[in-house]
This record gives sequence, C-alpha cells and structure tokens, in this order.
Amino acid sequence: MGDYKFAKEKLAEVLSSLKDYKVFAPVAVGDVFRFLQVDDPAKVTLEFANSNVPPKELMFPETETLFKYRLGQTDIEPEVPDAGDKRLVFGIRPCDALAYTIVDNLYNWDFPDPYYQNRRENTTLVGFACADPCSNCFCPSLGGGPASEKGLDAIMFDMGDTMYVKTLTDKGEAFAKAAGLESAGDAEKKAAEKQAEEALGKIGRSIDTKGIPEHLPSLYDHPFWEQFSDRCLSCGICTFLCPTCHCFDIQDEAEGFDARRARMWDTCMFSEYTLHTSGHNPRPTRKERTRNRISHKYSYFPEKFDVIACVGCGRCINYCPVNIDILDILEKSKQAEAKEAKTA
Amino acid sequence: MVDTKRLQEKAKEVLIRDDVRRLIGWKRGTYGFEAAPTVITDASQVDQLIFDATCVQNPASFISLEEKKPVPRGAEPDTRKIAVMVKGCDSRAIVQQLVEKAYGRDDVIVLGIPCRGVIDRRKAMKMFGDVTPGNVSLNGDKVAVEVGGEKKEVERGELLMDKCMRCRYPNPLVSDDLLGEEVEKWADDEFADVDEFEKMVPEEKWKYWEEQFSKCIRCYSCRNVCPMCYCVECVVTKMKPQWTRRSTDISENTAYHIQRAWHLAGRCIECNECQRVCPVDIPIMTLNRKLTRDVKDMFEYEPGVDAEAEPLLACYNPQDPEEYIM
Amino acid sequence: MSEEFEPNIVAFLCNWCSYAGADLAGTSRMHYLPNVKIIRVMCSGRVNPLFLLNALQQGADGVLISGCHPGDCHYLEGNYYARRRFMLMHKLLEHVGVDPGRVNMSWVSASEGAKFADVVKETVEKAKAAGPMDQFRRRQLNW
Repeated sequence: MGDYKFAKEKLAEVLSSLKDYKVFAPVAVGDVFRFLQVDDPAKVTLEFANSNVPPKELMFPETETLFKYRLGQTDIEPEVPDAGDKRLVFGIRPCDALAYTIVDNLYNWDFPDPYYQNRRENTTLVGFACADPCSNCFCPSLGGGPASEKGLDAIMFDMGDTMYVKTLTDKGEAFAKAAGLESAGDAEKKAAEKQAEEALGKIGRSIDTKGIPEHLPSLYDHPFWEQFSDRCLSCGICTFLCPTCHCFDIQDEAEGFDARRARMWDTCMFSEYTLHTSGHNPRPTRKERTRNRISHKYSYFPEKFDVIACVGCGRCINYCPVNIDILDILEKSKQAEAKEAKTA
Repeated sequence: MVDTKRLQEKAKEVLIRDDVRRLIGWKRGTYGFEAAPTVITDASQVDQLIFDATCVQNPASFISLEEKKPVPRGAEPDTRKIAVMVKGCDSRAIVQQLVEKAYGRDDVIVLGIPCRGVIDRRKAMKMFGDVTPGNVSLNGDKVAVEVGGEKKEVERGELLMDKCMRCRYPNPLVSDDLLGEEVEKWADDEFADVDEFEKMVPEEKWKYWEEQFSKCIRCYSCRNVCPMCYCVECVVTKMKPQWTRRSTDISENTAYHIQRAWHLAGRCIECNECQRVCPVDIPIMTLNRKLTRDVKDMFEYEPGVDAEAEPLLACYNPQDPEEYIM
Repeated sequence: MSEEFEPNIVAFLCNWCSYAGADLAGTSRMHYLPNVKIIRVMCSGRVNPLFLLNALQQGADGVLISGCHPGDCHYLEGNYYARRRFMLMHKLLEHVGVDPGRVNMSWVSASEGAKFADVVKETVEKAKAAGPMDQFRRRQLNW
C-alpha cells in the first residue's frame, strides 16, 4: 500500500476534511481520554497513552437498542438499523484494533451479530503506533506489538512534527485520499521502522503463553487462585475496561406503551451474572469468578477460537483497585503447575 | 513512623493464635505508587506485609466481602476472628460497621496504624510519569520518593491525596494494638469545597453534574470498593422490582449516583476510595461530602467515630430541623 | 390558545392524617388543584426517599410527602424518621441541581382539609416556577 505524511499542527484540518466519515478520535475528558465522535476537530489530541474506556464501545456500545415495539404488539419484526454513514476511528492503538479481530470470532460464531457486523464493516481503523509503551503493556506476548498492523486499515507514527501514515488496506487508501495526505519518502518510512523497533525494546513486561491454555483447566481446584480472589472486590472494572471482554445482558424497558429491547455490557465478576432464577448460583464466591475470568480468556476462548482473548493492553492491571495483576496470576499459575507436576 | 519489622512480628503473633482465621494487610504492589491488599492465613507469609505511604486501599472493606459459604452437614461454622490492619480513615469503617452490627467487636482484631498520609496515584503519575518508585517516606511536611535511583522531595499537598490534607482522624479510632506512635491531626476540615460548590445556582450545578454523570459507565467500582456498601443484594442490581435500569443514559446514571449517595447519608466515612477507583474521574466525594457536612450541621452526627452510637437514620430527635416543611 | 404548563405532582400521603385531610377537603367541596396524583401509604415513615427520585425519573415535575404532625404520628415515631430522611434527600437533590421547589414535605392532620388545599396550591406553584422536569427524566434517551 502507500506511505503518506501530514504535519501534526494540521491535525484539525486533516480531520475536518474527512467529510464523508463519522470520525471518532481521542478527546480529553478532564484528565482522562476517551474515543468520542468528533464535533470540534481542535479538541482531538494525539498526546495520550491510551483511553481508559477502550474503543470497543464504538463497535459494541455500552447500551444498544436491539429493537423497539409497542406493548400489546404481537407481530414484532426486529429491524437491524442501517449501518449509516461510513465511520472512521482515528488514533486507535494497535492493541485495541487487535482486540476487534479477537472479538470478531465471537460475534460471528453461532449467530452472526448484525449490529456488530454492520459497524465493523462500515468502519475504517486508522491506528496510532506507540512510541512510548506504558509500563504495564505486554502486547508482544500476545501476538501484538507497539506497531502491530493486525486489524488496522492504516497506521500512523508520531515522528515529532510530522505524522507518518502507512496504509495497509483499500479502506486505508480511501482514508488517505479523503484526507488529502501528501506522499512520504523513504526517510520517514525508515524513521518509523526505527521507532517501532525501539518501542518494542521499551516493553517491560511479558509472559510466555505457551502451555497456559492447556494447563489452566488442570488447576481448577488449586488453592493458588485464592491469593487473588481473596482481595478481589468483584467490582468489574477489569471487564469494563478490557477491549476483549464482550459479555452483555439483554433487558426490556418500557415507557408507557413504547418499549425497547436493549443490550448493555455485563460482567462475569458480578455475582448476579450467574444467578439462576431458582436462586442457585454456580459461581457464588469471588474465587469461582476470578478463576473463571482468567480461564475464559486464557483457556476456554483459545480452545474454541485458537486465540487468547487478551491483547496485553494493561488496562486491567492499571485500574484494578486492589492490584490484581494478570501477569502475576499467570506466573503463579505456572509455578502452581510446576509444583503439581513435581508431586505427581 | 511504622517499623516494618514490628508490624510483621505483631502480625505473626496474631496469626499463630488458635482463634484467628486470617489477617488482612498490605503488601508491595506489582507496579506504581500503590500497594496491594493481601489476605494471609499463615504466619509464614508475614514477610510480605508492609506499611508506607503507598498503602492507599481500605482493608476494612474486605471483612464483609468474605462470602459466608454454606456449612456442610455435621460441621461447625468457622467462627474464628479476622485480624485487620487499618489506618485512621479505615478504622472509621470498622467503627461504622460495628455501629450497624455488621459483625461483633469480638469478631475482629484491629491492628491500628497511625497514618500521616497516602500518595495520590494520579498526582504521582503527573509528577513522575509512569514509573515504579523505590522507597517512599513521609518526613514532616514533605514526601521523599526514590525515582530512577534519585531521591526527590515534594510538598505533602502536591503528592498526597486531598483527603489526607484535611484528615481529622489520622489515628485509628478502634484498635486492639497500635503499631506505631500516634500522630498529630494535620488540619481541621472546614468543608470549604462544599461551600464553594454551593455558591452555584441550580442550573450551573445541574450542568456540572450532567457532564460528570454522562461519563459514567456504571462499572459499579465505586460501590464495590466502598466499605459501607456491603449489602448482599444491592438496590441497583435488584430486578424484582427494578429501581434503576442498566442502560447508561443520563437518567439512570444520575439515579444511580443519587441512590448511592443517599444510602451513604450518615454512613460515609470519607475514605475517598470511590473517587480513587473511578475510571472516568467522576468527583463522587463532592456528593458524599455535602451530606457529610449537612449531617454534621443538622444532626450533630459523625459516622464512624463512636461505636456505641446509633445509626443516623435509625434514631431521631423531636427537635430535628424542619426547614422547607410546610 | 396558549397551553400553560401544568405540572405533574406525585403526593405520598399518610393514611391516618394527610390522606384523611385530603379526603376532608374533598367531602367539604374545597377546591384543590387537580395536578396532584395521590398515593396512599400507611405512614410517612414508609416513604423511601428513593420513591421521590423514581417519581422524578418517571416524569413527575414535583413530589410531596405529607404526614401527621410531629408528635401525633399514628405509629408514634414514623414521621420523625420521615423528617430526617426528607431533610437529607432534599439537600442531596438540591446539590445535584434539582430545583428545591420540586421536593416538598408537609404536616397535614386529618382535620386540616383547608391546609391540604393550600399545601397542594403551594406545591403546584413551586413546580410551575421550576418548569417541566427535564433534567434526568426517562424519555427514551438513546433509543
């Protein structure tokens, strides 16, 4: 594909020229960044590490109407809303784009989810490579990287005064054309490659995932889970901020005679998640739920889809109020397994 | 100053007792400016225990978090005690939980630690970046932080949590053992921030809160980290009847925050954990502190101070104030 | 023809005093404004302040809790608890930016039919001054 560039100070102009797209980009909301629809391009910033709430909310929003109906109506034909305008996510980090490719597996599995699909097909992803990965990032361990191109239509590199843009797909090319980007030369390309290499070297944490999907189920009854679940608050922040967590609850809401069926994010960390109508709860304590979450991401999901449901973005580590560190859990699981193997 | 060795010795003493099931304290975090709470059951694990300005979490939240599993037939329930290490603000949670009879005084062993302040992670990251510090210590009105091999000293107010700058109870209000020397109260709390907020007219206030509540993703971390939110079934997740829908629009988000602030009226002990954990930086304490101040002014009541007191809304005074009542 | 805004008021009246007072207003043919929708509860102490919040969410422009005078509660103490709760809820809602005129409480005894009519008039006036409740009303947002 092609190599392009634009001056960083022209960012607002570039975004304004994307008239055919609905553009989502990182905007500062107080001290925190979030991917929001851009109304004022001047508010978009590229000086950010990553958003707290992952851009998964752009593909599967926190609350989404599935269909509307009137109470008493007996012939409900749910209409999936049109995809609408073309969308563009500007500045998404490689880990979050990789997360979309992982979640695609699920939303295309036994039932192709039209709501998700429409958005996914309709969206161009313009990524933003990380020059300075955060201390808790470990994306290379999971097949990603600070400059990983997986799942992206184009990737940008911050070269100081200019942004170097490498297009990867036709959609990316269409974006470059629409934004009127000028061509970049070999110098920028080489500099970007160098930055990518240096960024990879800056990643401080890692985990060797070989064998983890296979050995986690064998540790089902192992007490090592308790050292983490004992301090888990079941708050759900890890799931809400995780770009690959995708569970949702479906509820009906009525206002007078108008009603809708909506889905909203749910979390396996709440005890109500598995509460049966009978009152029985197969995951009654935090031990079961913590064990389930890690096992789902690192064992059950890869068993079905051949990919670990984690991208190493580090948000769960950064925002867990009680410092439950997924890398710590995985390391301890390996130690537990080694001990079991010795005594076996 | 807290001597780590003494802390660990005391923990060991407590853990080898027959009548103690577990001990909750803090250990070194895996990164950054915050420690990690830890639950240990064996005296051999006491080496991990620490106490310094990174010990920001409230261990009192974990006492009620422990699930009560059904007891197998023929077996006796485990009635052993839980030992908890607490700072001044955390001890208020224990006192308030005792007031509400969440458990009995004999069910816990409180190891009190007089505290001179804890670090605000957000301030620290702005100041030092995304790093993990070495040694952290409080010296008078300065905080000394070892970063990248260098020792840096900053003013208390620039690095510690705002709550510490107005801490009225640095010494634990209930304890079986004090693991350090009592410290002087730093300042009195005049609730100046609440007064400042009240100067706004209703339209401005709503504009402010509408912006804040629109950010909310209803992760309920504020509720889960709160030591006073220990209901087995919470009103916000109740389905029959459903008070608050799960959709994240301004109506439900506002209702959720008002509900939670209301349920904390006369119970919030201002540990500020809710505000610390919020991933979208909603100023939750601005709501709670308003009620804390009004409860103090109207009913002369302060939660978490006197274990013999009655809960605020379980008692009344025939001379209670009656403004706005026709 | 101009449509003046008519607020929707939800009133929680205690069975023994306020509801009886409202009944007296009715039987004595005293006019009181039709904006008020009455929910009878056994005691003002039964009113959970979250009812007020829920009412505002569902479209009420104003709410009213009315009980027996302090000292005269049929259940002896219910209205004292209600008073504490109401004071705090009022302050909290005011802090969030809800017009204080929307959230009201009164003591109306069984013989005070006229007072009930006055209380309703005052509540409706305050709600009218505050305008339609649009701040956090459920109104098919994001549907």
